[in-house]
Amino acid sequence: MIVTVLANFLRFLVLMLLQVLVLDHLDVLNGYMVPYLYVLFLLMLPIELPAWAQLTAGAVTGLTMDYFSSTPGMHMSACVVMTYARTNLLRLLAPREGYEFGMRPTLPRMGIAWYFTYAGLLILIHHLWLFFVEVHRFDSFFGTFFRALLSAAFTFALCLLAQFLTTSPDRSRR
Amino acid sequence: MRDLFRFLYRIRSTLMFLGLLLVSMTLLYSSNAHHKAQAISSSNAVVGTIFTWRKEVTDYASLKEVNRKLAEENASWRNRHISTYTPMEGLFAKIQDTIRQQQYRVITTKVVNSTWHKPKNYLTLDKGTKAGLHGDMGVIGTNGIVGVVSDASPGFASVISVLSPDIKTSVQMRRTGHFGLLYWDTNDPLTSSVIDIAKHARIAVGDTVETRGGDGIFPAGVTVGVVETVEDAPGNNYHAITIRLSEDMTRSGFVYVVEDLHRLERDTLQLENERP
Repeated sequence: MIVTVLANFLRFLVLMLLQVLVLDHLDVLNGYMVPYLYVLFLLMLPIELPAWAQLTAGAVTGLTMDYFSSTPGMHMSACVVMTYARTNLLRLLAPREGYEFGMRPTLPRMGIAWYFTYAGLLILIHHLWLFFVEVHRFDSFFGTFFRALLSAAFTFALCLLAQFLTTSPDRSRR
Repeated sequence: MRDLFRFLYRIRSTLMFLGLLLVSMTLLYSSNAHHKAQAISSSNAVVGTIFTWRKEVTDYASLKEVNRKLAEENASWRNRHISTYTPMEGLFAKIQDTIRQQQYRVITTKVVNSTWHKPKNYLTLDKGTKAGLHGDMGVIGTNGIVGVVSDASPGFASVISVLSPDIKTSVQMRRTGHFGLLYWDTNDPLTSSVIDIAKHARIAVGDTVETRGGDGIFPAGVTVGVVETVEDAPGNNYHAITIRLSEDMTRSGFVYVVEDLHRLERDTLQLENERP
């Protein structure tokens, strides 16, 4: 229990620092694509975590990001929307016999099809919300849409990479 | 009644979601007016410290360029220094010059974090209220204007960049004196727009745009940029002017924060005029 909490806290710190110190300054195509890898923290929260705790984690994560980018409420709203979607999506994607206790939502553990639906959808929801709130208008709808789409693909690729680098299939307990 | 409570209990996570969404949306919309004190910004001490760490590492990559800029600027100040002038007539010794008095004070600061590719861009500076910084002070770089301080903590300050539609700076054409507003709607970190210059004004490509001053934020005559295109849409009373910013916003090392020493005096006077 305490190990899980510590592992998640550590993941939060590492991902947040990686985001604000490195990824935010990565100018891919003049800032057209921005990866927001910090959502991986929310994606990797334990499955059995109650909804209120997930939502709180989302709000705190988003608020921390807002502090770093001077954008009050922008990341917070996107993260809250994403975690709310996550609580419902986990219910929809549950295997027939339910989740085992202590199951982690990672690629080696859950399989490719499950993980691509889960992470892909949630990252897409987060990025679409974030980019549309950021430009704050709908007039160049497809421009913003493709920006969000490409950035989401980038974030997703980084999520996969981060997992291959950090988890091995036999040690993916926490 | 019990059914109602049971229903509310069943949708408690949705209720919590809506509550948190409401909080974040309130934050989002209450922060749009830039002069309001922003509680959530990068002038926060922890955030500023983390950005300083990063800057200490990345500084080494730009040392050469920063040194060159500083040397150039030193040279230009040296040219203006009193010792480089010889007196034309030796009759009067000026001991206390009462004709001129200092109006602006300049504070040197370092940019510890900046963005330029977002729809609204911010900078974080490594000095704050302890160095005399406060909201609504102008920030200028070596070549031109950079932004306006929005918020300051004891050790750090956050600045709304000119690359943000939240600030409109009063500017004028150096050649003709026609004035308008600098408004960033080009979404390109190298250019910006000047709006509200009426069509009868003759604007040529290559004209220099400078600050108008008088707003208590920027001194008059600070270079902003050079006119790149002038378009006249039919049915519009104003020019659509695009300028190339003279300050490269993608690489600001050291910047100067300008304090208008007479601001309080002028603001008080203007407030008295407005009072019925």
